[in-house]
Amino acid sequence: MKTRLGDWLGGAVFVVLAAVTLAFLVLPIVGIFVHTTPGKLFVELSDPAVRDAFVVTLKTSVAAQALIIVFGTPTAYLLATRRFRGHAVAVTLVELPLVLPPVVAGIGLLVTLGRVGLLGSRVPFFSIAFTQAAVVVAVAYVASPLYIRQAIAAFEVVDPRLPAASRTLGAGSVRTFFRVMLPLARGGLIAGLALSFARGLGEFGATIMFAGSLQGVTRTLPLAIYYELDVNQDAALAMGGVLILVSALLLLTLRIALSWQRSPSNASPSLFGLSSSR
Amino acid sequence: MKRLLLVLGLFAVLATPAASATRSTPKINVYAAASLVNVFPAIDAKETYQFAGSNTLATQIKNGAPADVFASANMTLPQQLHDAGYCSKPIVFTRNKLVIVVPSSNPAHISSIYDLTKKDVTVDVAAPGVPVGTYTVQILDNMNLYNAVEANVVSQETDVTTVLAHVTSGQVDAGFVYSTDAKSVPGKVKVIKIPAWAQPKVKYGICVVSASTNKTAAHAFIRRVLSAKGQLKLRKYGFLPRVKPHHHRHRHT
Repeated sequence: MKTRLGDWLGGAVFVVLAAVTLAFLVLPIVGIFVHTTPGKLFVELSDPAVRDAFVVTLKTSVAAQALIIVFGTPTAYLLATRRFRGHAVAVTLVELPLVLPPVVAGIGLLVTLGRVGLLGSRVPFFSIAFTQAAVVVAVAYVASPLYIRQAIAAFEVVDPRLPAASRTLGAGSVRTFFRVMLPLARGGLIAGLALSFARGLGEFGATIMFAGSLQGVTRTLPLAIYYELDVNQDAALAMGGVLILVSALLLLTLRIALSWQRSPSNASPSLFGLSSSR
Repeated sequence: MKRLLLVLGLFAVLATPAASATRSTPKINVYAAASLVNVFPAIDAKETYQFAGSNTLATQIKNGAPADVFASANMTLPQQLHDAGYCSKPIVFTRNKLVIVVPSSNPAHISSIYDLTKKDVTVDVAAPGVPVGTYTVQILDNMNLYNAVEANVVSQETDVTTVLAHVTSGQVDAGFVYSTDAKSVPGKVKVIKIPAWAQPKVKYGICVVSASTNKTAAHAFIRRVLSAKGQLKLRKYGFLPRVKPHHHRHRHT
């Protein structure tokens, strides 16, 4: 009797704690939508300041993610398929921006690529602080580890016999990469891109430190939300609402993409590739 | 369960001394414009200060921040808060004026406000809405320089201290700040004066926040700022007397 009551109590405590957790995670999002009706949202979204923020965010995000794919995919491929001296160090360095506070990343970029910075003061080409290029670099810096980690995991779970077979059948290493590895790792790569995109959209600390905040040039959605909160709270909430919807969409993409990669040979790659990259 | 109780008990023990300490000396929360960051602690070192752009502070107070006193770099924001019932009727406690600061090396060779229109000069300002940002726009409008200078603006900051920091660290060629900010970093910046006729009226307003639970101490703080000693400190830090000297006085109060 006593143990059954104990069991029941224990179960009840777990359910209550889980309910509190869920409510805690969801309530702030509910709060934003309670404050912005869809009608109000559309009115605020036509505000020029809000439109500019959208354009800046879209342009810089696309550019940053393109850079991440172009530079990150080969990096991830090498880290996933080659073992060399310093491999662990290289993987750690790739992951470092992930745990770095964004403001630290921002000040690091400023003293490197600012005009009195390490590179910026010597080579004018690298002096990009307070420009749109600075936003792209800040976003790429903080978001790339998410893509690269997921891509490493995606390449690692490809059955090594498949690229080997491709090579014995006469395909070169480049052809094998594009025709065998990329299609097989597709799901994981798209999932990584979705994660990286979501992180990039929310970028604030590194951007405001390194790129500043100027409407139509460097003021992305998060910066505009921060700025508009003191000027026009409705506009800030409307932009927040849109970012929530986009984030939800990206999360959905991620789930779908990850389910593509599920096959008998690889049980369940985790969100961050933690289980499969170790 | 026993361990949980132990942890809670520990928290209670740890929290007690702090609670009793605050009771013996009623410290108040002063929400003050970023440009007051040096002078307010010099007037009264024992209060808790929150320095930021006045508009940011006003938003926080409207959203229930635990402020006792609001000191703004303009009269508009405290007046708006007063009209909406968030604070007492604001009074002017000091005045200020704007200057242009350039890094001491003056990389863009700026010698007057007109040089800010030159090609490739980078200028930092505070965002319109932040009092100093609004004053900057007024100056540029007064001098018919708005479009030409705006083309060289690389960033709009949320408070004046960020503008100052970007200039002292040499990240930008020039920035618009208060003369008191320039005075706070001697040797690190060169000051370029702005013609007196183009200067806006920069009045600082102070009020007691309606939701304050410590109004007596809040009023005492304001009295300290308005006292001869407080005003002398403000003058020492480069602020202007709260009312213009008599022979300059205009029709307004």
